[in-house]
Amino acid sequence: MNGEIIPRTIMEFLTPRLGARIKTWLSICAHCGMCADTCHFYLANNRDPKMIPSYKIRFINDMIKKYGGVDREYLQEIYKTVYYECNMCRRCTLYCPFGIDIAMMISLLRALLLSQGMAPQGLLAAINNYKESGNQMSISDEEWVETVQWIEEEMSEELVGLTVPIDKKGAKIMYTVNAREPKFYPQDMMEVAKIFYVAGEDYTYCSQPGWDDTNLAMFAGDVQTARTIVENVFKRADELGVEKVAVTECGHAFRAVKYEAPGWLGYTPKQEVVHSVELFHDYIRDGRIKLRHKVKEPTTVQDPCNVVRNGGLAEKNRRLAEMLSEDFRPMKLQGNYSYCCGGGGGAMPMGGEMKKYRLKSGKIKAEQIRETGAKIIFVPCHNCIDQIRDLDKEYNLGVKAIHFKEAIAELMVIPEHMKPKEQAEDDE
Amino acid sequence: MNFYSFVEGPLLWTAFLIFIIGCVMRAVTFYSESRKKDKVIHEHFKWGYVLSTLGRWLLPMNVTVVKNPVYSVLTYTFHICLLAVPIFLAGHISLWEESVFAVSWPALPQNVADWMTLVFLGIAVFLLLRRIFSADIRLISTFSDYFLMVVTALPFLTGYFATHGTLNHISFLGNNMMLFHMLSGELMLILIPFTKLSHIILFFFSRASAAVEFGRRGYSI
Repeated sequence: MNGEIIPRTIMEFLTPRLGARIKTWLSICAHCGMCADTCHFYLANNRDPKMIPSYKIRFINDMIKKYGGVDREYLQEIYKTVYYECNMCRRCTLYCPFGIDIAMMISLLRALLLSQGMAPQGLLAAINNYKESGNQMSISDEEWVETVQWIEEEMSEELVGLTVPIDKKGAKIMYTVNAREPKFYPQDMMEVAKIFYVAGEDYTYCSQPGWDDTNLAMFAGDVQTARTIVENVFKRADELGVEKVAVTECGHAFRAVKYEAPGWLGYTPKQEVVHSVELFHDYIRDGRIKLRHKVKEPTTVQDPCNVVRNGGLAEKNRRLAEMLSEDFRPMKLQGNYSYCCGGGGGAMPMGGEMKKYRLKSGKIKAEQIRETGAKIIFVPCHNCIDQIRDLDKEYNLGVKAIHFKEAIAELMVIPEHMKPKEQAEDDE
Repeated sequence: MNFYSFVEGPLLWTAFLIFIIGCVMRAVTFYSESRKKDKVIHEHFKWGYVLSTLGRWLLPMNVTVVKNPVYSVLTYTFHICLLAVPIFLAGHISLWEESVFAVSWPALPQNVADWMTLVFLGIAVFLLLRRIFSADIRLISTFSDYFLMVVTALPFLTGYFATHGTLNHISFLGNNMMLFHMLSGELMLILIPFTKLSHIILFFFSRASAAVEFGRRGYSI
């Protein structure tokens, strides 16, 4: 990225975006340092003062003081801080006596960088894909529908009468996925097809853009694209007349569709948004799904920032893990106050440039996992699961990271009439 | 009118007016600006979220107290003394009784007020030293962090000196200590709305905003 920075453009971007909250935070932060050791970057980098959350947003006041008079090098320094040193997990906010939302200001700085043409390649590539195809993996509508049909074919061999509905009008739930699932992890969709069938869920996929619930544009501060993505989701939901939009085991997608969408859209969508963790929790609690047995090995559970701290599902996430486990071992810090795994805020899709930073900052989570002695960790988030699998290798944790759906699909009781003939006979 | 009567009269009232009107303005500005640019906190506003968070943080019943107990004891004590001594000091109350308002309320025993002043000053010195000597806090500190701590401590220091005649043997200081006390108090009052001391009022708005943001996600902070 080259080119001169025009101070006026910096200020024209910042000024209208400094709301009452950000202005207040910038003016009252007492620099007390209570946020320092709440940050996994600070702790994992030998308590490096430069990693203190309140220090990371110093650029905003500084640029205002300089009337936007900064150069490319300065923006590069911001880039390093806001992308390599923060996952926007919001843990610091919970410990700040003023409740200052550092992540919101990091997000503003990322948006400012984007306005000056600076963003990680990995996120830019995804944004282009959203713009062209409506999903982050550039899967065409035909390919998508074929994938769903293929999954139906495969799974109907396993369970008698199983269908995978697509564009079913009036279904109760429209289920959306992370585009990585059709691309790389079709087994995720297979498992969920089984779970929904056994639970007797009235759901549907949609065939048009809106089926990918991820929103990587949000991490680069690209509000326009972020809005288009959620607009698609609710457009499809309206067309199909569903009551609820369900989100796969993905954290940021849930946060975007449920909590950020109303702000971007300017209205609150009609449909309730639910996360897979809630659905699965309720299926087991209500007996819609019964388990043959629980996981016997020691387990623990990851609390993804965007499912738990920013998604409000602390209780159900933990309860679901407990219901699935014989030997559940919570981490020392479980729930809303848990540490970020280091894979959030766009760190995973940023790819190679971020890898060494996220492996280092993930040390704190790795230690928490190791302390539990668990052999299995349930991870209801795509970014977390990739990061925790990397942490497992980096820190030799000896833990297997799986989505909830993998365990449920494996352990649930299949009603007799759903078993194919040969298998039913084998069972006898 | 000599300088002394100016400081104890018009300047004092001006300082109080700037303090009160300034704080009200900060609150009004926050409210009106947030209606335009921070709609989310208005759409999801619930008194339940707000009262619960204020309860936890005005009283020491929050996560940071558990995590940093020593620092918390010091800073809560600091703020209690900062508010209680000037409001409940017998010497100040008698001025209110003599004023046009002719109001009165119970006072702190003098020796308690003395001790609270010394404790306050001790903590202020500690916080300043921490800011200077802790690599973490030094890095994040700005000029105003140091300056405002001095501004906040000066009325207490000069008040203590004036009451006890500590420095009366230095004639210039002794003759003018009460003047310094009033000037430093007035300086602090005037600076409150324009500096981070405005957290005296914005604390409530900032915490409430955070509480709504997490409250709408289903839990209180």
